[in-house]
Amino acid sequence: MALPVSLRTSVIPQELELVACEQLVEIVPLVAMERTAFISGAYGPLRPPSKCKVPIWMAANLKMKKKCHIVPPEWLNVEYLQDRLTRETTEPQFSEMPFRFAEIAKVLLDVASDDFQNSDRLRSLLKDIREARQAKSREGLSKLDHSDLNLPNLCAIEINEIRPFFVRAMGVLTQLTKDPAGQQMTY
Amino acid sequence: MDNFDWSIPALGGDDENAIQVPRPAPRDDAPVPMQEDFLPIADEEETAFQQLIRHWMNERHAPDILPGQELLLGRLLDHIGKQTNDVRLLREDPDSSEDEHFRIMLVQTEVERVKFVIRSYIRTRLHKVEKYARHIMKTPELHQRLSKGEMEHVHRYALIVESHFSNAVLRGLPEEQQSLDENMAFMPPMVPAPDKTIAVFAFARTACPPVHLPDGTTLEMTKGQIVLTPYHIVEHLLLREDVKLV
Repeated sequence: MALPVSLRTSVIPQELELVACEQLVEIVPLVAMERTAFISGAYGPLRPPSKCKVPIWMAANLKMKKKCHIVPPEWLNVEYLQDRLTRETTEPQFSEMPFRFAEIAKVLLDVASDDFQNSDRLRSLLKDIREARQAKSREGLSKLDHSDLNLPNLCAIEINEIRPFFVRAMGVLTQLTKDPAGQQMTY
Repeated sequence: MDNFDWSIPALGGDDENAIQVPRPAPRDDAPVPMQEDFLPIADEEETAFQQLIRHWMNERHAPDILPGQELLLGRLLDHIGKQTNDVRLLREDPDSSEDEHFRIMLVQTEVERVKFVIRSYIRTRLHKVEKYARHIMKTPELHQRLSKGEMEHVHRYALIVESHFSNAVLRGLPEEQQSLDENMAFMPPMVPAPDKTIAVFAFARTACPPVHLPDGTTLEMTKGQIVLTPYHIVEHLLLREDVKLV
């Protein structure tokens, strides 16, 4: 079939990762390269040791060949994440995180854990934040009705996680409230 | 002038003006504010590939078939052709250095990424085209959303399915039961149509005009807001590209 069954209901995390990897990240190149035209724009020139912004997929590719160091994004450090975790556990609403933080953090920590100070601590903080936010999404289910649900600061991967259940629940609610005046069933 | 292009002059492949794809201004000299990470909307700066990614995601999440992005696809395919050609010329050149091989590898990686998204986008549309072939045939408003190739496929596919049904079963039934599009009371329709009441996650790319919700209230989305709501509520906002589906 044109679209495999597993892809029909939703996108998969790997696809979200591909989308997130178009975002830019700073690197410190270890090799020189002229400015080069790519489909998504021109990047470079790479001149060690000055920093340069390239898409994450390119940074990951260079890193795996040991041709660069990745400069962690401003939000991917222990102090920032610790602060977010505190807010996440003390405040009722979702705290502001970059929309694709989970995917980016995963890719960067997978390929470049040596470029981060204390990468294990980062991983455990990310996991704690994720769990705190998951608990909030589950609570959000109680606010679901048939017309709309506002989801401020929810991130791409979290949306994808709650999608199947929330979409179905809303479908059931829609059916229950369909034309309440016109088609009321009498039992 | 910057060494902006791939081609090396000796090969005569100097066609850097051939394809005018709007490229973002070099970003390394502009300080990127933290804000950009939070709101990755950047309408002005959306490159052709980012536009395609957005349309791909919309198509994947929307129950209905959306207007095809033929111009955009054409531009990207031209660009892929050009990059592939440049890579081939450089490959054939025995003098190309180690450094060139490394650039070739990066360019090819990107070409593969773009190809993947294009393929997935087209396959998603093909899936919907086949699923709703008979509905599309009966709804002229949908025809302009399809490319020429997709439209031809709809015609052929609907014909093949109908003749198969007819040959396999319908011919053996009494004549009044042979129709494929009767509307029986209390039965689902015989022509499958997209269910527009299904809920989608809409992300506002800009401030949106107010929309009416099924419970009687109105909803006015501000830039960056994410809402879970039935598809028909945000359908016209999606067609205006005010929202994207995530």
